[in-house]
Amino acid sequence: MEQIRAEMVANVWQIAAKVGAKIAEGDTIVILESMKMEIPVIAETSGVLTELAVKEGDVIQEGDLIAVVS
Amino acid sequence: MLATQTEGVDQRDPQLRLNAFFDADTTSLLAPADTSGVLIARGEVNGKNVIAFATDATKMGGAMGSAGCLHIVNAIDTAVRERVPVVGLWHSGGARLAEGVEALHAVGEVFAAMVRASGRVPQISVVLGPAAGGAAYGPALTDIVIMGPAGRVFVTGPEVVRSVTGEDVDMERLGGPEPHGRRSGVVHIVTDTDADALARARDLSTLLGDQGHFSTADARDGADLSSLLPDSPKRAYDVRPLVAALLDSTDNAPAPEPVAGTTGLASTKSPINPVELHARWAPNVVTTLGQLGGRTVGVIANNPLRLGGCLDSASAEKAARFVRMCDALGVPLVVIVDVPGYLPGVGQEWDGVVRRGAKLLHAFAESVVPRVTLVTRKTYGGAYIAMNSRSLGATAVFAWPDAEVAVMGASAAVNILHRRKLAAAPAEERDALRTELIAEQERIAGGVGRAMELGVVDALIEPTETRRRITEALAAAPAARGAHGNIPL
Repeated sequence: MEQIRAEMVANVWQIAAKVGAKIAEGDTIVILESMKMEIPVIAETSGVLTELAVKEGDVIQEGDLIAVVS
Repeated sequence: MLATQTEGVDQRDPQLRLNAFFDADTTSLLAPADTSGVLIARGEVNGKNVIAFATDATKMGGAMGSAGCLHIVNAIDTAVRERVPVVGLWHSGGARLAEGVEALHAVGEVFAAMVRASGRVPQISVVLGPAAGGAAYGPALTDIVIMGPAGRVFVTGPEVVRSVTGEDVDMERLGGPEPHGRRSGVVHIVTDTDADALARARDLSTLLGDQGHFSTADARDGADLSSLLPDSPKRAYDVRPLVAALLDSTDNAPAPEPVAGTTGLASTKSPINPVELHARWAPNVVTTLGQLGGRTVGVIANNPLRLGGCLDSASAEKAARFVRMCDALGVPLVVIVDVPGYLPGVGQEWDGVVRRGAKLLHAFAESVVPRVTLVTRKTYGGAYIAMNSRSLGATAVFAWPDAEVAVMGASAAVNILHRRKLAAAPAEERDALRTELIAEQERIAGGVGRAMELGVVDALIEPTETRRRITEALAAAPAARGAHGNIPL
């Protein structure tokens, strides 16, 4: 199980994957907006997206849970 | 390359591993095989002299005693004397317990020899099995650490960890390719097979030990490199295809003209494939060794795919170590910049982004090798300075025509500089006013106009001429080499 956490304060701009979806390493799960950049959050391992802890428009803090890939 | 799985052949045999590393039939032992648990040898890699040593895991798990350590010291000292790379093939449980303090002293002498050689000759380590305790610090002191699938590096093994902390962890999770390739930064390159680990060590021996000379004829104008970037300046992208397109490859290096007086073999030398270091650790900055115009260069590039390309404490440290290694070994640098700034946050500050970021400033300012910067999209704030700016002594700073060099993006600047003015404007006029102010801000502070007036950007260059212009700038600068070691920052 891999917990994907925010590495910086950001707005959640787009959700790019659905709960239950098969995820490959390198797939984009959500796209954040911060530092005037669109920043894709990328899966580090392959698996199934079992939890999405954010929705579009959320403001997340460094360390907040974004998603879980199992 | 590795010997096939023959019946009765122990794949840990150090002689087999040395034979697999060197060009066929070039291995010659520098000391007769004995009970020391270490073999040292001379051989060729792509036709050039290289020294290597291998610990013998078939003898006491490759544990290092005084005799074996003396062999390693001799191998390193020989490489320094002959100014050739030295490659260590590691598979060792650490110091020989039975020898007690004598073994510790000897292992310490190996470390001292490595530090004496640091920055003078390339030192490459290939970890093919467990390398524990003293054998862990051996690779760690060298310039580049490669780990095969069975490689494990740790100071204390799982049993000691369990008895001291109660944590149940196996060797792989403690010190295998995953933790060291991604979390610790101890390992530069992780490979799927032992053969591939040795192949990378061969590539690096040639890239660092036989660096070649610039030939601008080999770096002619070509593909539009900007086509590898997205249209939107906010959009993230992977910078690695751009790095690959900039460097020589069989695709973009025209076959060199045959040189009179040389054999056909020598003049048709094909480029060595680029080797990315620390690919999965601090991936927001990319550090790659490759060839440009026929000569070895080191490339440092922000990667907007990760953290928007922001610098942070780990990536600054990664880049700083790479810059110092290249400087010590005389490898010119190419710095590809597309950076929104330093990553903000409590975690970063507490992680020492000031201290670790300072390493990158120090590394660039100290380095004497030719080093050329290219700004592709934007460079802002403190990260602008850190990415080999003119102020830190860049040989040349180029920018693509649409690049922005500023303290921050124009819209962010307007929100701060004109906060009151915007607040005071009637709501229905606010957006129009903001657009107007942004245009004004871009005119006075954005773009590259002001940076060129100040002389901190030398020239705008077209994406199609990038390979040629960078090669020419590097080739025109006096070759130099930093007089310092390569401490594993």
